[in-house]
Amino acid sequence: MDSSNDEALDIIITNVVATFRTRCHLNLRTIALEGTNVIYKPEVGKVLMKLRKPKITASIWSSGKIICTGATSEDDAKLGARRLARLLQKLGFKVRFSAFKVVNVLAVCSMPFAIHLIDFTKNNRPIASYEPELHPAATYRIKHIKATIQVFSTGSITVTGPNVQNVATAVEQVYPLLFECQKPRYK
Amino acid sequence: MLTNNTGPVAKLYLSIIYDVIESIRELFLDEGLEDRVLDDLKHLWESKMMQSKAMEDLRKNTINSSNFVLQLPANYTQTDQELGASVVIPASHSIHSFPMKNNSETLATFSLPAGLTYPVQIPAGVTLQTASGQLYKVNVPVVVTQAPAGQPPESKTTHKVTERREAAAPQSAAIPPNATHPQEAEPPSVPATAVTQPPHPKPTLPPGQESSLPQQPPVPAVEPSQRQGAHSPEPEVTLEENEPSPQPEPVSLRMTASPCSQMLDFQICTEEVLTHTAQLKNRDIDDILKEVIEEEREKAERARNRMPAKTDNQSEAVLGLDLDYNYSELSDIVQLDGPAGNSDIEEEEEVPLEENDFLGIINAEAVKALQEGDGSSDGNSISSTSDSEGADELANVEEEDPLNSGDDVIEQDIPDLFDTDNVIVCQYDKIHRSKNRWKFHLKDGVMCYGGRDYVFSKAVGEAEW
Repeated sequence: MDSSNDEALDIIITNVVATFRTRCHLNLRTIALEGTNVIYKPEVGKVLMKLRKPKITASIWSSGKIICTGATSEDDAKLGARRLARLLQKLGFKVRFSAFKVVNVLAVCSMPFAIHLIDFTKNNRPIASYEPELHPAATYRIKHIKATIQVFSTGSITVTGPNVQNVATAVEQVYPLLFECQKPRYK
Repeated sequence: MLTNNTGPVAKLYLSIIYDVIESIRELFLDEGLEDRVLDDLKHLWESKMMQSKAMEDLRKNTINSSNFVLQLPANYTQTDQELGASVVIPASHSIHSFPMKNNSETLATFSLPAGLTYPVQIPAGVTLQTASGQLYKVNVPVVVTQAPAGQPPESKTTHKVTERREAAAPQSAAIPPNATHPQEAEPPSVPATAVTQPPHPKPTLPPGQESSLPQQPPVPAVEPSQRQGAHSPEPEVTLEENEPSPQPEPVSLRMTASPCSQMLDFQICTEEVLTHTAQLKNRDIDDILKEVIEEEREKAERARNRMPAKTDNQSEAVLGLDLDYNYSELSDIVQLDGPAGNSDIEEEEEVPLEENDFLGIINAEAVKALQEGDGSSDGNSISSTSDSEGADELANVEEEDPLNSGDDVIEQDIPDLFDTDNVIVCQYDKIHRSKNRWKFHLKDGVMCYGGRDYVFSKAVGEAEW
């Protein structure tokens, strides 16, 4: 996770999204009425259930597919998912915990330097794209690890990838590119 | 009825009761039930409502203390009250002091403990406060007893009756002369007083005056006697409902004077019905005390449970009453709330506040909406799910399934701390959430908070989850 410059770059995972299946049909009305801390959205057809610990919001569909968001680590996501399945089991559904998969991991990282986005984009065409009128960050997509990095001129970056390892790799990969285009800070 | 000296909630409830009773009166008559059955129902209902304390506190808060103060002449000599009292409350002892406006006047405030055994001797100059919050100033020494019904009213009770009677000036001067009114004056005066009673309360009671308390005795000495006569038969009437001529007058009195009558009267009367017997000698005190001690203990919880039902389903409230007469048979309305119902719980106050925890609100209508919406959506998804699941199972045979019936799964450690009695039943205008901050815009609701009932047409709230 460290940069190649022997500095410790703190990659902070802010969100882990995971899905799993309960392998049984879920009666959303029952969950909405009897579950605790639930928000029923009949117009969409799902129930949101929020867990306090770990801090997780789960979207529950009647098909039995559940999307778990808000976890801060992969283990947390799995723990939360299991707790959720346990909750549904207690409500009376024949829940089986299957097909757990971490779908997305969002991490933020802060470079100790500012970045000149125009130069960065010029150097990294076509992998990087930058439309200042649309979004203030340059988007850098690493195809082979399927990670997307958004680079801001302040030096903060957000990285999203399919798992934590990919995210870390992406940061390592992009750091030297960013370092090249750093904007000297006149202070 | 007892719409005076009541808070807005109590007034609403009483008007609801009145409407329901009136609307089903014909039904009752058609069924062949006597009118007094309906009256019993009404009294029972009202008394249970009063006892539930849902409105008592409200009433207590809205009552000006001055109304309750009855000055007893300091030199009033205590007449003998036979009936060996099991509890003698010394005049100087003050268990509970209720803030009174006229503190300068000598008065002792008592709160009779629950479980008090009759008879109780209460000296003069004592202000009794029932557990339900009702204050009664005893101008004359009384002995509260529990006696079989049917006994003729005695002068002692009549004194108290006057105390609680409708508004006027303090009767302190009139008390000694009243005390001298023996019982013998009582029965003959009953019919007369009953007749004169109806016109009396109305002029004396300013309409809608909540603060006018029944304890304000009328200035003229005649009135007390009138009241006494009229009042004492009332409990009997409510109790027995089988007494002849004098009784119908008070009964009609009560009904006709409903807008003006005192809540106390009802308490007293309904208490009679509920409890069982009352010594007419100390009827008024009996009523109050019985209401406090016996009824409240027995029925408070039930009444409280019934409260949300009553307020929510006005027309269905009949079902919630626990009566010997099975009035629920008369109505085909399904009771959605009640003791067995699963009341929706939310902690909130009328004033926007921030609380740490809350539960979602679902009222009956929303529940139905949910049911209908869910039924249709679920029905559609079932068929598609079964098809997809079949394919999935083939593809995901190797998928893990280690739930192990909860062995590995950690039990949720979120306790069920939402089992409160604070309930709001209402409709929502808008419910908004941002992350974990909730904002509620509610309308047309009844809230039971801290045992008290609040009715609102609009409520705004904030909460953090």
